[in-house]
Amino acid sequence: MIPSDHFTRFYNEVFKFLEKQGEDALRAYWLEISRNQSMLTYDLFQQKGLEGMYEYWENIRIEENCDMDMDLREDRLELRMNVCPSLSKVMDNDAAPMGRYCDHCAGWIGPILDKLGYHLVYDVIDRQQPQCVMRIFKEKEAALEAEKHAKLLMRWHGKLED
Amino acid sequence: MTKKDDRPLRYNDDGNVHMDFHVATNTTIDFIIERFGMEAMDQIFERVGKDVYANLREHLMNGNSAELVKHWRHFFDRENAEYSIEITDDAIILIVNKCTAYEHVQKTAPKISKFFCDQTIKTNAALAEGTPFTIDTEITAPGSCRQIIRRRT
Repeated sequence: MIPSDHFTRFYNEVFKFLEKQGEDALRAYWLEISRNQSMLTYDLFQQKGLEGMYEYWENIRIEENCDMDMDLREDRLELRMNVCPSLSKVMDNDAAPMGRYCDHCAGWIGPILDKLGYHLVYDVIDRQQPQCVMRIFKEKEAALEAEKHAKLLMRWHGKLED
Repeated sequence: MTKKDDRPLRYNDDGNVHMDFHVATNTTIDFIIERFGMEAMDQIFERVGKDVYANLREHLMNGNSAELVKHWRHFFDRENAEYSIEITDDAIILIVNKCTAYEHVQKTAPKISKFFCDQTIKTNAALAEGTPFTIDTEITAPGSCRQIIRRRT
């Protein structure tokens, strides 16, 4: 068993392998992880909206030992990751980190929120620092406005099937 | 088994545990094998065994299997697995009666990969390669296995 504690270091090795195969391989994998994660999130997000998303990430905050603040408003949810345990472990690693490790997060979350009709603004800030800000909006205009203030805006590719 | 070492493990995780990561591992194994073949998956596990676990491997290289036993105890305890470790004159045997990773995936994912346990088999093999030890993994039943460390003769 690769302990769940070490999953992110395994994930990092998968990313490095796929990066060598080309960008399409990486994107296809993130979309596959998105399908996997939608199994755990889609119904909750659909039924409870932003509150369901808060509930999901509150559980993640606890189980993954994240230093993270969340702010739930009527029109949006903001997650401010102060210390990301995922990237922290990948950097505290005897194996080399993949330079774009952070990209996977928008890669799996984006397609789920697209399918649900929400608008994700993912500011990675700096790929070498274990911190980021993720905002999820109900309205596209508010998301477009927030994008203007992002330091390193992360995009995603791929679409989940209906 | 060599001397007792009180220093913490290289990866000495504490706090809570997120078992859903095993579901992502399950998905990943099938994705890689379906698209790139078994060899590709083995190559990734080899990197985990040799690079991610370079410190454990270094202990084995130096003739010390106690660090791996400490690693087993630490992480199987954290995941609440049912296991025992037998130490005999010529082998150290980890008997996993209930692998909680397997159990969690079985109850959460639509299907468990038939190659799910390769993460253990192949990573163990890579970890031991070129060291004075072998680590053999025998799957005894779904969610159960024996992992045996022996000194090479």
